Formats: sequence, structure tokens, C-alpha cells
Amino acid sequence: MDKNKNPLKVALHGMDGRSYKMMSMYLQGPCKGVAIVVNENNAECDIFDADVVNGQKLLAEYLEKESQRPIIVLSLNDNKLANVLAIKKPVKTDDMLAAIAKARQLFYDKTKNVASQAAPLTGQQADKAADSIHVQPESPKLKKYVNTDEQNKTSKHQAAMQLNEKGFGAFIGSLTGIDVNDPKQFAKAHYNPKEYFQGYVDSAFKVSRSKGQIRQLNSGWNPLIIFPQSDEVWLDVDESQLRAFAGLAITNTLGSKMSITPLGPEASAAERALERFYSMDGFIWKVACWASKGRYPISIDITQPVYLKNWPNFTRLLVTPHALRIAALLIQGPRTLSNVAEVLNIKPQYVFVFISAASALGLAGQVKREADVLVQSPEIKPNKNQGLLSRILSVLRGKKA
Amino acid sequence: MSQYKIIFTGPVGAGKTTAINSISDVPPIKTDASASDMTKFRKASTTVAMDYGIMNLPGGEKLHLYGTPGQERFDFMWDILVTGGIGLVLLLDNTRADPFQDMRFFLDTFDKFIADTTVAIGVTQMDLSGKPTIDDYHIQLLGMGLKPPVFAVDARVKNDVSLLIQALLYSLDPGLEE
Repeated sequence: MDKNKNPLKVALHGMDGRSYKMMSMYLQGPCKGVAIVVNENNAECDIFDADVVNGQKLLAEYLEKESQRPIIVLSLNDNKLANVLAIKKPVKTDDMLAAIAKARQLFYDKTKNVASQAAPLTGQQADKAADSIHVQPESPKLKKYVNTDEQNKTSKHQAAMQLNEKGFGAFIGSLTGIDVNDPKQFAKAHYNPKEYFQGYVDSAFKVSRSKGQIRQLNSGWNPLIIFPQSDEVWLDVDESQLRAFAGLAITNTLGSKMSITPLGPEASAAERALERFYSMDGFIWKVACWASKGRYPISIDITQPVYLKNWPNFTRLLVTPHALRIAALLIQGPRTLSNVAEVLNIKPQYVFVFISAASALGLAGQVKREADVLVQSPEIKPNKNQGLLSRILSVLRGKKA
Repeated sequence: MSQYKIIFTGPVGAGKTTAINSISDVPPIKTDASASDMTKFRKASTTVAMDYGIMNLPGGEKLHLYGTPGQERFDFMWDILVTGGIGLVLLLDNTRADPFQDMRFFLDTFDKFIADTTVAIGVTQMDLSGKPTIDDYHIQLLGMGLKPPVFAVDARVKNDVSLLIQALLYSLDPGLEE
């Protein structure tokens, strides 16, 4: 490492307290003896962090002053600033040493005092530093926020409810006349989403999104208002009422009353209780769980594998029992629903309800290609730290031993 | 006894300190509070500039929660930090000018660690900025050949942070029993 009795005196700019201390320690550690942090008045070189808020502005203002001191700029971007020594993050010690050496040379060149104090610069370091001198990039633009009401939409942003097996029946509802967990009855353990509120909501979402219009789903019950631009819905009912309604097959009773109508500008702009806004995804996920009651959608062939496109955004969705495990398994590759239940050693109803909700969001579907069926999903291997991971889980789920 | 860690990383302001605070059983140790006397850190200078919390496990074991320094992306520190880590929690601030750039940066930086373990991504500040959406993140990640859990997270809410870590653990082993 380069040691020098006269380390280059550097001033740090655009860094908060923590970053300032971190950089100071870095210069005392890996760059020890090469540079030391001093106040701005005594500095021979300036180091800027260009990625902080106002970092580019601060740097631009400083450059306008035409300081005689060399400048080192740390940034995630490939900086192309004129007359600065750019170091791309993550900062590597070799890059920093090279830039400091170059800065020292520049400083002493300017003060006509090169030979006696400048640190030797290896050819490789000098080349590296020279290569990193670039031209100025555009300043990053920060986003502006105008919608302060958004934070008050508590139902939309609230943390997910995580159901365990005990709470499942009470929250989701139960079925009579069929045991969905009996493999002999799997073939009948399906439901048709189109017969439930879920199907009408799904159709209304599609229409509203394709037209880009605020629409109202009329059902002879409380209207559901859909805002496709912000991916949210508004419904003025309690959750218990919604749960009961979503669990009923309504085609034969209310089907003729269902309609989707555009909402005029005045009605669209009307003030609404903010706590009654829900995200479209969170809403249809929940409605699908209540319609499913532990059954799978009729569109799924129970004998064929299903895939999961990506992880659902579980922090904003109702988390049914074992849903995280099911997602983790299916994300590795397609499997049949019964295989998922078997591998995870769980009741099939938990797999069925998960697939119902994930299908409602378009995240899960049936494998269509023959090749996908032929390729066997990988066997899951227990993690070497399984005991530890289980103990962490027990704490996270509030079951401290 | 081995030291087990979960590493929290992400840009400044993404909520690493807050997230650790949400699930730590002890008040997190913050470097801001203790780094004033530089002479103390000559030996330990590679380990102090980060947040640290502890989760007490059954049987007296401890899970250590480390937050990387956000802005000072010193690779030498990260190498030390990830040793013994069981997984990475990447928190991204959705109000930043280019959160995808942040994401790519951190995934690239920790690529070897992620390949050896796994990663779960939490997107914070989505109540302030709804775009990019979680789906947008998945599209970007798919382009990188990754399918990790990506959740909207309020780092102040224990349940959000808990679900993110649960997803991390199940990604390591879906066979873990609840």
C-alpha cells in the first residue's frame, strides 16, 4: 500500500454524517497514509459523492468556481465530467489509490511543487486514473409527489393478514357435501369463478383496463368502482359483508342485475372515504379465496402441472396457510396440485385456494406445452441449515419455543 | 458456535435501519451514535459503519442482522459482511430516480453471494410512488434470469419485514414446516 508522510489533504462533499465517517475511516484504513480528511479550507483535493440528493448540483456549483484543486467524484454512473477523476462505485481500493495519486500529481503540478512531495504513481495506476476522466452526465431528476391522500388509503397499503390452519375455516368458509382433501373427490373439488362475484369483478377489471375508463360494477348490491389508472377499487362495505357475498354463487340470482357502466367525470371525481380504497390485486385475490373455499378453479386440469409466473406480492395480499411455501416450490418449476400437497405434506385445500387466488391475478396457469410436462420438477433438497431456518421461522411467526 | 446472519442491503433511505429495528430483539446499534471517536475504530474500521440487530432464537441461539452502509459501496467491506450470511434482503426505495439501476447494482455486487444463498426484494415507499410497480420489477428481474420474491414493504411494519424474511427462508427450502 502506498504510504506517505504527507498524505493528501482531502475535503469531503455531499455526504451525510454516516457517509462522512465511513469515508474518513476508509481513508484511515485501506488508504492509510495516502490521504487524510481535513476541513475545506485546508484541503488539497475535494471528494464528491455524486449520487446523493443534490449531489450533482453541488458538484456543478463547485465546478463553476473553477477551483485549482483536483476533484474526485464517486458515482454509480459512468461519469463523464471534464476535469475530474471519476471513481465508479463500489469503490475499489486500487481505484481510489490511483485517483489519489493522480490528484496529488495534479495538485502539485498546479502549485509548482511536484517533485519533492508527490507520491510515485505506477504506470498502471496512472493509466487507470487517466481512463476515468470523463465528461459531465445529466443530473438525475427526482420524482415529485402530489397525491398526499395516497398514504391515507389504509386498506390499500395495510400489511397482509397471515392465516394459519386454525383460522382458515373461520375466515375462508367451509363447504358441505364434499371433502376437497380426499383424493377420490379431487375431480369434483373445483368451482367456476364465473358463477361468483369473482367472475364479474374479473370481467369488470378487464373492461375497465382495456378502455382505460373508470367503471362501476352494478350488482343490485353496493356498487364497485374501478380506477384502472391507479389500479384500485372502491367499495363501501364491511369486510364481513363482502366475504359473505363473495362466497355465494350468484349467477342464477343476481346475474341478470349485473352490469358494468362508465362513470361520468362528476361521479368519478366525487370525494370518497379513503379507507374504502383497495388495490385491484388485493381485492380480487381475496374475493377469489372466498369463492374458492379451498377448491380449485374449473379451468385447471387437476392431472396436469401448473406454473407460477412470479411470486405474489404477499405483503399486500391475504396470506392463506402455507402460501409462501407453495409459492417457493412452484417458482422452481411446474407441478400438479396434488404433488405440491404431497411434497409439502399439507392438505390439498391450501394448494387449491392458493391456485385459485394466483389464477385470479394471472400469476398461475396450466402448463400447455408437452415438453413442460415431460420435464420433471426438481426434487427439493433440505437446506443444510434447516434446523436454524425453522427456528427463525418460529420466531417470525410468533411461536417462540 | 457459528454466526448466522441475514444481510440487509440497498441504497440510502430504503429503510434498512428501520427494517432491522422492526424485527430486532435489541435496539439496533447505529454507527452514527458511536463512531465519533475515530481512534476506537482503527482495528474494527471494517465492521462499524453498518447497522446491527439481533433476533433471539429458541435455545439461546442468535441471528445477527446486518445492514450494509448505503452510499459508501466499498466492496472490501461487503466481502467481510456476507461471510456466514444465510441470505440477502435487498430493500429498494421506489421514490429514487432510477430504482432499477439500484436493483441491478446491488444484485450484480452480491451476485456470488446470491448464487450461494438467495435474495428477497422489498420495495419501500410505494405509498409515495406507485411506479414502477411490483410487476415492473418482475419484468426486469426476469430479464436477468431471476425470480425472487418481490414485495411492497413498509419497513416500519414488522409484519411486512417478517413476510419478506419468511419468503427468503422458504426460497432456501420450501420444505420448511410452519
